[in-house]
Amino acid sequence: MHNRALRWLAWTLVVAGCAADDPKPSDPPGGDGEARGAPCAPPVTYSEDVSTCAPLATDYLPRDGGSATDTWAPCISDDNTYHPIEPSVSTIARVAAFEVIADLLWQNGKVPAPADFIDARVAYEEEQGLSSRLARRYDPHFPPPPTGGCEEPAVAAAYPDYCVGPARLQPLIVAAFADGALGNDPLGNAARIEAALLWFLYVSPIKEATTCTTTPKDCDSAWAYYTGGTSRTLPIGLARYVDRLAPETHDRAFDGILAVRCWKNLDNEAGTSTDLTLRDQAIAQLDRALVRGVALLARQRVLELECATGDYQTAALAKLALLVPLLDRETRARDVTAADLLLAQVALPADQIDVAAAVAAIDATYPCP
Amino acid sequence: MAETTLAHLLTLLAAVALAGGDDAAAAQPSADPAGGAAEDDAADEEAAPVYEAVVVGEPADPTPALEDNRATSTVSREELDRRAARSAPDALRDEAGVFVQQTAHGQGSAFIRGLTGQQTLILFDGIRLNNSTFRQGPNQYFFTLDSQTLERIEVQRGGGSTRWGSDALGGVILAHPVTPAPLTDGDGRAFSFAPRLLSRLTTADREYGGRLEGQATLGDDLAFFGGAGLRRVGRLESGGLLRGLDGEPALVPRFATDGRTQRGTGFDELTADAQLAWRLSAHHRLRAASFLYRQLDAPRTDQCPAPFAPRDECLTYEEQFRTLAYLAWEATHLGAWAKTARATLSWQRQHERRRLRRPSAFTAHLGRDDVDTFGLAFAAESRAFRPADAVRLRLSWGGDLYLDRLASAAWILFTDLDFVERRSRGQYLDGSRYTTGGLFLELGAELGPRLTLRAGGRGGRASAAAPSDPASGSRAIDAGWWPWSGTLGLSWRALDALELLTNVDRSFRAPNLDDLTSRQQTGPGFQFENPLLEPEQALTLEVGARTHGIVRLELWAFVTRLDGAVGKSPREITDCPPDTPQCATAWTRFQLVNAEGAALVRGLEGMLSLTLPLELALRATGTTTWGEGPNLAERPSDPTVPYRRRVPLSRVPPTHGTVELLWGGPAGLSAAAALRWGLAQDRLAVSDRSDARIPPGGTPGFAVLDLRLGYRLDSALVATVVLENLFDAAYRYHGSSVNGPGRGATAWLALGW
Repeated sequence: MHNRALRWLAWTLVVAGCAADDPKPSDPPGGDGEARGAPCAPPVTYSEDVSTCAPLATDYLPRDGGSATDTWAPCISDDNTYHPIEPSVSTIARVAAFEVIADLLWQNGKVPAPADFIDARVAYEEEQGLSSRLARRYDPHFPPPPTGGCEEPAVAAAYPDYCVGPARLQPLIVAAFADGALGNDPLGNAARIEAALLWFLYVSPIKEATTCTTTPKDCDSAWAYYTGGTSRTLPIGLARYVDRLAPETHDRAFDGILAVRCWKNLDNEAGTSTDLTLRDQAIAQLDRALVRGVALLARQRVLELECATGDYQTAALAKLALLVPLLDRETRARDVTAADLLLAQVALPADQIDVAAAVAAIDATYPCP
Repeated sequence: MAETTLAHLLTLLAAVALAGGDDAAAAQPSADPAGGAAEDDAADEEAAPVYEAVVVGEPADPTPALEDNRATSTVSREELDRRAARSAPDALRDEAGVFVQQTAHGQGSAFIRGLTGQQTLILFDGIRLNNSTFRQGPNQYFFTLDSQTLERIEVQRGGGSTRWGSDALGGVILAHPVTPAPLTDGDGRAFSFAPRLLSRLTTADREYGGRLEGQATLGDDLAFFGGAGLRRVGRLESGGLLRGLDGEPALVPRFATDGRTQRGTGFDELTADAQLAWRLSAHHRLRAASFLYRQLDAPRTDQCPAPFAPRDECLTYEEQFRTLAYLAWEATHLGAWAKTARATLSWQRQHERRRLRRPSAFTAHLGRDDVDTFGLAFAAESRAFRPADAVRLRLSWGGDLYLDRLASAAWILFTDLDFVERRSRGQYLDGSRYTTGGLFLELGAELGPRLTLRAGGRGGRASAAAPSDPASGSRAIDAGWWPWSGTLGLSWRALDALELLTNVDRSFRAPNLDDLTSRQQTGPGFQFENPLLEPEQALTLEVGARTHGIVRLELWAFVTRLDGAVGKSPREITDCPPDTPQCATAWTRFQLVNAEGAALVRGLEGMLSLTLPLELALRATGTTTWGEGPNLAERPSDPTVPYRRRVPLSRVPPTHGTVELLWGGPAGLSAAAALRWGLAQDRLAVSDRSDARIPPGGTPGFAVLDLRLGYRLDSALVATVVLENLFDAAYRYHGSSVNGPGRGATAWLALGW
C-alpha cells in the first residue's frame, strides 16, 4: 500500500512534466594495479612432440595434398583455406573484444588497474557482444534439459554443465570484473576472466559446428570463435594461445574447422544437413584437437605454480581451479584416475600441489591432438 | 544555414498572413485577379450545386480537414466510443487501407498503402506530430495520442505533401481533439460547468483506468475544456503460441507459464490536457491548448527478452512522453483571399528514456532522447471566385515551418558497482537540428455542375545539421534540400448517385536526423546512418468511385511509384562505422540507402455501407496491397547464389478487411458483430527474414470475431461492452511482436452531468 502511494505520488510529479534525471557518470576508479610476488622468469615453455601420433582413418587432412590422402570427398576446404559461407561473421567482433580485454587485463605484462577492469567490462558488455553470448552458451557435450532452454534461469541453475555459460562462466566473469574494479586481487580476477573466456572459446566452436546442421552461418561462427576469423598462420583468440604453445595441435584444430566446413559443403551448404555421421566425424576431429589445446594451457599453469610466487602463483591456481573442473568431463571419459588426481590437486593450496603428478596426468590423458 | 532559411520563411509567412485583410475588408467586394468578382456569401449559397459540394464548397470552419475528393475515411467520436478502442492506432483497425502493426503493447503504427513510420504523416489539430527522429519502419508515436481526447480521426490514403509537407508519402492521419464548446452570443449564463467521467476495463490485459474531464464556459467569450486520465495495463493474454507459415513457432513474444500471457507487455499511462478558447470577436478565436502524454515502463515486446536472450533481459521504454502546447488563432471573413484562416504556434517535446536490463550481467544500457519541435503554421482558404458563369474557383494557401532541436545521450550502468559511464554518443548526435517547412497553394475549381478540378503545389526547404563525434566515428552533417510536390485531381459526378474520381499526387520525404545520424538496434538488425541520403518521392495515381444513397460503395485503385525510396540495405562488417563494436557484433547490419530504380506499391481498397431493414446495416472493408522494389542487397559475387533484382517491400500488409453487421435499436441501444480478417503474408523482404517480429516463413492469416453492445443516452451516458475474439484465435497483425488479444471483454463507460 505504501509503495502504491509512492507510485501515485511519482505519477503526480510526472504529470507536472518531470522526467527522471539523467544518471550521473561515475568517476573512473583510481589507482594502479598492485601485486605481490613475481611471475615465472623465464616463462615456462613447452615443446610439442606428436611424433607418435597419427590421424584417425576418418580424419579430414587438407594439409596432405589437399585432402588427397583421406577418405573425404572433394570439397571447398581442399585448398587448405577456410571459405566463409556468409560474407560477414559477427563472431569475429566478439573475439576481437576478447583481445581487447586480454590487452587490458593480462596480456601486456602489467598488473591491471581498477579502471582497466571497467574498460574491459565495457568491451565485454557491448550490445550483442561477448556477454550476450556467454549468457546463452550451452555445452553440447552434455545432454540437454528435457524441457526449456538455458535462457530460463531455473533451467540454467538445474543444468549447470549443459548451461555452462549462464550457470558457470557468466557469474564468475561478472564477479571478477566487479571485484577487480574495486581493486581486489587484480591478477586473480584477471586470471579467472581469462580462463572462463578461454573455456567459452573452446565450447563455442563445438556448439556452432553442431547447430550449423540447420544454420549454415554457424559454421562460420565455429571458425571465428576458434581463430578470430583469421587464417591458419595468423590466429587470434584461442587459436593464438594454442598455436604458440603447440603448433601441431593448432594445425589439427584448424584441420577440424576445415573438416566441419567440408562436411557442410558436401551436405546441403545452404540448408539443413542430413549426413550427421559425417558431421559428427568432423566435430570429433575438431574437438579432439581443441580439448588438447585447452589441456595444454592448463598444463602450463600447473608448471607456473613452481616458478611463480605470490599473487602470480595464486593467479595460476585460479585458472587451474576453473579449467580443470571444466575439463573433467573429457578427462574422466579418458582416464578416471587422472581425472580424480587432477581434481584433487587443484583443490590444494598452491605450494602443496604435486606438479609433476599433475603434468604427467595431463600428458598421459591428452597425448595427441 | 538552417537559421537563414528559418528567417526567410518566417518573414514570408508573416507577410502572407498580414496580407489577409480584416473584418472590414471582408464586408467589401474584393478584386479578383482572374478578372471576375469575388462573390458574397449569399451568392455563394445560391450558386451551390444541388449535390454536396466537394472541394470548393463554402469554407466555414478553419479547422484543418482532408479533401473530399481524395481517398479518405473518418473515425468519429461516436465510432471511437462504439469500438472501445485501446488506443488511437487501435481505432483505425476497421478503416480500409489502414493496417495497424504493434511492436509493443504500448505502441501501434498505422500502415497506409503499405507505408508507415517516417513515410506517413501524423498531425494533431493540424500540427505535425512527425519530427526528425521518426525512423524507417513502425514507431510508437501515434500511440502517444490519448484516444479519449480525440473528437475524430481522419485518414487520407495516398500522398499529401502539397498540403502537409514532408513525410506524407503513404498517407496522412489527421487527429482532431475534442475542443471547448463553440462560443455563441446570447447564451446568457455567466458560468457553466459540465464534468464527465470516462472509465474502461478489459480482461485480456487487466486494464483499468479512466479519465475525468470537464467543460466550463465563462460568459459568451471564454470556454475551457480539460481533463486528466490514467490507466494501468497488465500483461496481454493472447490466444496462444503462433507458428509461422513454415510451421516453426514465432521467436517473439515469449510467454508466461500459461502459454498465453505475453511477456514484455503492459504499461502505465497518464494523460492531461487543458484548452482555453477565447472569442476575440465575431470572426476571431484564439485557443491555447496543452496536451500531456506520459507512458511509463512500456517494454518493447520483441526485446523482452530478445530471441535467445535470457528471460530476465528486457528493453523498456521507461518514459515515453509527449508534451504539446500551442496557440491556435482561427478566423473567418478576413477578406477575399482568406475567408477562413488558421495559424498555430506550437512547441512539442518528445521525450523517451530507454533501459535495456541485463540482470544476469548486472548491467543496463540506458538511452535518452529529447526532441523539441517549434512550429509555425498558417493556412487560409479564399472565397469563391466566379471567372465565368459555370466556373467557381477557390484557393487554399499557406505555409509551415518546424524546427527540431535534439538532445541525445546514452550510458552503460554496472548495477553491482553502481558505476555509470556515459557513452560518447546516444542514438542520435546530441545538439542536432532539423528544419522543415514550405509554402503551398491549391486551387479548387467547379467546372459546371458535375466536374471538379483540384490542383496545387508546394515548394519547401528541409535542412539538417549535426555535430561530429570523433569517438564514434560519426561525421558532422550539414545538408539541405529544396523538395517540391504537386497534386492534381478530378472528380466527375457521372450520376446523381455516382461520383468518379482520379488524382495524381507527387509527395516527398526529406531525409531526417534518424536517417542521417542514428545508430540503433532495429527489428531486422543493427542500423547505422547514411549522411548522403537524398529525399524520396512518391508519385501516386489513384482512381476511385463512390456511390451515394442506401448502398454506399467506395472503391479505389492506386499505384505509387517511389523514386529514391529509402530502405535498408544489408551491409558487411567492413562497412560498419569505426568504433562501433555493436555494429560488427550484430547478426545483421543495415544502412539506409536511396534505392536505384523505382519501387512500386499497388493496391485496391473498398468500403461498403449498406442500409438494411430492421434497423440493420452492413459495413465491410477490404484492402489488398502489393509492393516491390529494387533489391538493396548487392548482387553476390558467386553467380550460383540466388539473387533477385527486385524483391518485395518490407512489411507490406497482407490482404485484409472487416465485415460488420450493425443493429441500431430503440432507446439508444446498439449491437454489432464484427469480423476482422487477414490473409497470410509470405512475401517478405530481405530485412523481414531477419526480423523476429515476422514468424518463420511469414505471418499466417486470421479471422477474429468481436461482438459489440452499446447504449447511448446523448452524451450523458455512453456504455459499450465488447466481447473480443470470441473463438480465442491465436493471431497477429503482420510485422507485430504482439499477438492479438485472446478471448476477453472490454467495458467502456462515459457518464456526464
